[in-house]
Amino acid sequence: MISAVRIFVIDNGGQWTHREWRTLRDLNVETKIVPNTTDFQDLYKHEIDGLVLSGGAPRIGLTNRLGNCGDYLKKANFPILGICAGHQFMARFFGGQVEPSKIPEFGKIELNLLKEDDEFFEGVPKKSIVWESHNDEVTDLPDVFELLAESENCKIQAMRHIKKPFYGLQFHPEVEHTVYGEKIFRNFINMCKK
Amino acid sequence: MFNAQEFITKTIQILKNEIKEKALIAFSGGVDSTVTAVLVHKAVGNQLIAVHVDTGYMRKNESIEVKKMMEELSLNYRLVDASQDFYDSLKGVKDPEKKRKIIGGKFIKIFEKVADEEKIEYLVQGTIAPDWIESGDNLRDTIKSHHNVGGLPDIMKLKLVEPLRDLYKDEVRKLARELGLRISERQPFPGPGLAIRIIGEATPERTEIVREACFIVEKEIEDSVEKGLMEKPWQYFAVLLPVKTVGVHGDKRAYGNIVAVRAVQSIDAMTCAYSDIPQKVLDNISTKITNNLGDKINRIVYDITNKPPSTVEWE
Repeated sequence: MISAVRIFVIDNGGQWTHREWRTLRDLNVETKIVPNTTDFQDLYKHEIDGLVLSGGAPRIGLTNRLGNCGDYLKKANFPILGICAGHQFMARFFGGQVEPSKIPEFGKIELNLLKEDDEFFEGVPKKSIVWESHNDEVTDLPDVFELLAESENCKIQAMRHIKKPFYGLQFHPEVEHTVYGEKIFRNFINMCKK
Repeated sequence: MFNAQEFITKTIQILKNEIKEKALIAFSGGVDSTVTAVLVHKAVGNQLIAVHVDTGYMRKNESIEVKKMMEELSLNYRLVDASQDFYDSLKGVKDPEKKRKIIGGKFIKIFEKVADEEKIEYLVQGTIAPDWIESGDNLRDTIKSHHNVGGLPDIMKLKLVEPLRDLYKDEVRKLARELGLRISERQPFPGPGLAIRIIGEATPERTEIVREACFIVEKEIEDSVEKGLMEKPWQYFAVLLPVKTVGVHGDKRAYGNIVAVRAVQSIDAMTCAYSDIPQKVLDNISTKITNNLGDKINRIVYDITNKPPSTVEWE
């Protein structure tokens, strides 16, 4: 028997952390919300296949702290998906820059894929509607990352690590109004299965 | 995917093991508390007492309807009319978070009083995920204090039971349908009620105005949905603004308040888009409200913001 994929959600205090948990659960993933103070060893013991770093109120543009997220990014050999604050922290951790947005985005936005053949966006059209809620954004991509998507007012909407299965999204794939959100989660889950 | 039948069977079993003494459920008559009441009732029968509080901030005829409902479900129930008490405690209060906290605190006081009198050990609530998420905690910012979370004292005498804590409204509706409840599609109504649909002080007089305006919005939209003119919104209501503007009534100057109409589409309340209401329907709503509340309201606006950046309710 094939056991279910196990993906935990690291709670950085986001309004939609629980939505991420729900989306994974609805897609038959074995999932749990855990505090961002959890020790990496504790996560590792659970034999997880992947990790989601949730968003949260911390202003990554102003501070460089997000619980133990740095430790996870340093040690993980499984896929990690950073969302909003999780994505911004990922960028900072790998040497990128995060600043308060000149034009913060809230609600409906058109996402423009710049690299359509990445497996992470398989089945997602070049232009699609996504929902946002951010005060800060990544303004300078880390050297080891590749840009995958942009919007009119935020140039770094999606990025991936060149060598590791780490992805960052400024928008929120977990909310109902992001049209291809579930598809993106399915793609991430498929990566975690490998 | 969420399996309603499985959830019901499992939860009734858990509740049977958990609730050993008499329990009280805070019963508003909405989908969340009704589903919770039915589950607990199935688990422990008449050991459960449903308490409905008329806060004075209920919608038109609401508490009468809720009473009917509790009878229909054969619940062992108590009705508490606390209108005057609520009005008094909100006197002079304008801050939305203060309103919510005072109301939450009042609810708990009433429940504790009933519990004391009837030797009840457990407080059951229909709390769902967005309630505690938006109320905030050590990690999360407080967007708004939901009455069933933000009003709870630090030290609780009653043991709290919240079987729907991890669910969203669409999942609770699935449970309601599975349980055959006629209120399964009822629109959400916040615990603090009309008090948070009155910007500024929620006086009894202003409550009457917003109660009538909400009634008109609900009726017009429900009629239009029935006629197939529009999709049923997730939530639809009126908000009374403390802003006065000039109008003209029968060749005379008028100076009255503004009512905002709000209607949104959503699945789980965590993100919402404002509803695309046909102009004809908006027109009917506007005319009916201004005709019915002539000397008080002379301007109607429609709220065209999504969540985020706004929230569904204005406070």
